[in-house]
Amino acid sequence: MAHDTQAAHGHMQDHEGHVLGVEADLEYWRTKRLEPRVLHLHRRGVLTLYDLLRAAAHLPAPPPGANEAAHDIEGRIRALEEGLDDYIRGIGLASIDPSEHPSVIEDTRKERGDYDDFFRIAKPHHDGTLEERIARLERNLREYQRLLQVLMHALLEKGVLTAQQLERQRAFLAGRGAWNGARIVARAWVDPAFKQALLARGREAVRELNIPPGRLGKLGVAENTATLHNVVVCTLCSCYPHDLLGDPPWWYRDDGFKERVVRDPRGTLAHRFDLRLPESVEVRVHDSTSDVRWMVLPRRPAGTDGWSEEELARLVTIDALVGTAEALLPAALARNER
Amino acid sequence: MGAPEATHRFHVGDRVQVKHTNPAGNPRTPAYIRGKSGIVSSLHGRIDNPLDHHGVYPPLCSVLFPVGEVFGGASRDTLSVDLHEDWLAPAGP
Repeated sequence: MAHDTQAAHGHMQDHEGHVLGVEADLEYWRTKRLEPRVLHLHRRGVLTLYDLLRAAAHLPAPPPGANEAAHDIEGRIRALEEGLDDYIRGIGLASIDPSEHPSVIEDTRKERGDYDDFFRIAKPHHDGTLEERIARLERNLREYQRLLQVLMHALLEKGVLTAQQLERQRAFLAGRGAWNGARIVARAWVDPAFKQALLARGREAVRELNIPPGRLGKLGVAENTATLHNVVVCTLCSCYPHDLLGDPPWWYRDDGFKERVVRDPRGTLAHRFDLRLPESVEVRVHDSTSDVRWMVLPRRPAGTDGWSEEELARLVTIDALVGTAEALLPAALARNER
Repeated sequence: MGAPEATHRFHVGDRVQVKHTNPAGNPRTPAYIRGKSGIVSSLHGRIDNPLDHHGVYPPLCSVLFPVGEVFGGASRDTLSVDLHEDWLAPAGP
């Protein structure tokens, strides 16, 4: 009986889930990633609210949401999700650190109220029917994007960012993928609070790095330790957090790999990947059989004290993210990049 | 997502056996693990994953199995398999 009820409401539940997801994400990116930054820039006098007003005067008004009403519910939700992705990419572009020495820990944590509720930016209520909520999201998203557009314009106009920096950042964001995984790992190595959030809440935590968290189920993070080494596989298909980390290594889809790694994990690592682990280290294979998409958090290599996050990220390969390799040693990195 | 514990029938540390067949369940339980016993190692709750499938599956657990018990041999390495609760039955100690 329970199954019948679920099937009957399956479609509706689905829309509800998507709209809830957009509401939560949109408010997160606005109140945690963009607006605290705007306030931060204003407070420091880097870019004031008056600069924004001036920039807005130069920008043509956005077109009214002309054909939104013509879409069916599903089309409108999909448009919202695409708009949200655009918004997230835009925030990534607008969040280049203009200084020569980017700080390791996000400097707007205080401004966005992570430590003190008093600083938190209020979020709207999301009540009403599904249609009302979609209409509100469409309106909000238009306004949020407008502010972002004005901010970008003002950053350029005032010379806080140059067009070249922006182009570089755009290219960088387009080529991410495995690099996202490397950045997540590097941040976890230098920031214990981030690591804890990552292990406990997965996707939610990565938004702090301006990485879109994706929507494929739940992210599981398996941490390697002195006595445990993790490997990820999907014996049923090729489940992987693609939406977050890009493509896994090519052999991840290979049935020979899947078959061998579950039957003989230690032998497969040793013979196929030349990774020989001492008997004191347990090898644990995570078969991504359902809605948890796993990634490995490798151990930080020795000899990397004082390295910047960016340097550390270069030690993390896609193989390390599935656990068929450890993070590179500094010497190996030097060899690879020579 | 809320505390996953609230929705779960099993607890971390419970010994469970995977059903041999489950015609009503979803197909996300690989053949090699059916009929085997393991220990629940973490609880994930009900996971909404609308991009992969409509509807919501029963609560999901990670269950740990020694490789040696699944495939024979002396290996003490482990397999962690994510299994929905409708595929699991309590197993004796």
